[in-house]
Amino acid sequence: MEHPGPAIAAREIVRDYGERRALDGFSLEVPRGGVFGILGPNGSGKSTFIAMLAAMEQPGAGELRVLGEAPSRALRARVGTVFQESSADPLMRTAEYLRFAGRLFGIPGGTLSQRIPALLERFGLADRARDPVSSLSGGMRRRLEVARALLHEPEILLLDEPTTGVDPEERQILWDTLGEARGSTTVLLATNDLAEADAACDHVAFVQAGRVVAAGTPAELKQGLRRDAVRITWPGATAEELAVVAGWRGTGEILRSEDIVHVTADDASALVPRLFELAGREIRGVSIDSSSLEDAYFRYVQRRVGGSK
Amino acid sequence: MAQRELLNIARSRSQLYSSVLTPLLFLVFLGNGVSSGLQPANLAAGNFTAYLVAGTVVMTSVFSSTFSSASYFRDRDNGVLRLLLSTPHHPRVILLGKSLAGLAIGVAQAMVVLVAAAPFVEFEWQYGVAPGFAIAVSAVVLLNLMLTGVAQAFASRIQSMQGFHLLMNLALFPLLFFSGAFFPIDGLPVWLRVMAFANPLTYAVDAMQLAAYAVGGEGFIGLPIDFAVLGTVAVLVYALGLSRIPRLTHSGQ
Repeated sequence: MEHPGPAIAAREIVRDYGERRALDGFSLEVPRGGVFGILGPNGSGKSTFIAMLAAMEQPGAGELRVLGEAPSRALRARVGTVFQESSADPLMRTAEYLRFAGRLFGIPGGTLSQRIPALLERFGLADRARDPVSSLSGGMRRRLEVARALLHEPEILLLDEPTTGVDPEERQILWDTLGEARGSTTVLLATNDLAEADAACDHVAFVQAGRVVAAGTPAELKQGLRRDAVRITWPGATAEELAVVAGWRGTGEILRSEDIVHVTADDASALVPRLFELAGREIRGVSIDSSSLEDAYFRYVQRRVGGSK
Repeated sequence: MAQRELLNIARSRSQLYSSVLTPLLFLVFLGNGVSSGLQPANLAAGNFTAYLVAGTVVMTSVFSSTFSSASYFRDRDNGVLRLLLSTPHHPRVILLGKSLAGLAIGVAQAMVVLVAAAPFVEFEWQYGVAPGFAIAVSAVVLLNLMLTGVAQAFASRIQSMQGFHLLMNLALFPLLFFSGAFFPIDGLPVWLRVMAFANPLTYAVDAMQLAAYAVGGEGFIGLPIDFAVLGTVAVLVYALGLSRIPRLTHSGQ
């Protein structure tokens, strides 16, 4: 069945938990196919939105459409969800857990007998099929969860911080394997790993305090940033010193997050010596890179200290 | 769902053995000790060990329902509950699957105790062995249905497994003592007899005693009343447990 329009369409979603407002006019459109990232700090509403898409929470207000329909229990058969925490039964064996999950989604036994070995092979777990889930490493369990979510061949795959606590090698394995699902499945990734989002996502939305504050392709969001991004470990930076830096020609955005000062500039090689002249021994470390999605993220989501010139 | 629950219980060897072995040990030591030391006279069959079997079967059901219901907390803590709630099934269907497994295990364990005791005690089987066994099984099924409902209702209000076990023990063990399981209720003071007759476990014990070891019906409540009370209470309590689903699926989350 063809579904014209976006895979997910959210308009002014509001969700309260008692006095805490988790989503505050959350609006977003996710096109079909590809990988869409939603990035935001902890508590920004990402997991709540994922739960709504899986019809596990209801919006208090606003309109939400998944594959053209309001989320419902029946729609869950077309949506696969990987939760932030593991949902694998540690007492079950690996293949046994997949069979259990597959039957919960109504997949016939014969079909499961074909899909389970194929998925285990694809996710590098074929030799662990008969081992208890409790014996798998954290990274293996995450791969198992993704395999489980793909078992019923969903049209939408929801990933809630799927690589949290996973080492870089495992992370790469997971993304390499997920790459094969692109095109046939729309992937919605909730993460606060900016490098991961920059590498994996076709579109990105920044979320803060329950609202989408910016959305677009990574290239669109990085547009307008200065060429270089300078990251300074500067615990004792005062507001006056940062105001001086903001006044220098070629300085762009200045953002502070605890001991780190983030500065975008036209030419880092000219900026850095002047920084050391200004602050000297107070500066503990400096790194220079090209402007990235992280810089765009800090522009929209984190507290700003200075304006661009 | 039920298949997975049965598999997990079968793999929890300590749980499986303790819920059967503990009542059996109780039966062997208390039964023989009281029979030889105290020589109770006002028992229908005069044999305290045989008298104790029905109470031991009920005790097994109490233990079993407590252990089986701990799976709610296990599933919530290990994330499996979240998976179950992300499937297309109604939460009631999920709960039904879990409780059917608990019911099956509870009945099976109770029957193991009855069958294990049968060669060693003198049962009368006044209705015949097969009909008597069918009566005992029916009483145990209804008892376990009721206990499953109680466990679901408690699990929906309690955040921790430890608190749940404590509440179940506090609620069910006093009921066990005043059910006729360990001593007849005939000779009790009036106020205790009133408590015993208000106790649904009393009717399960009575039905099993009538089926297995009684001769005639004097001194017993009677099967029609036993099953009327057990059936009504079991259905009502189980329905109450099912109605607690929203809290059960969100407790602790």
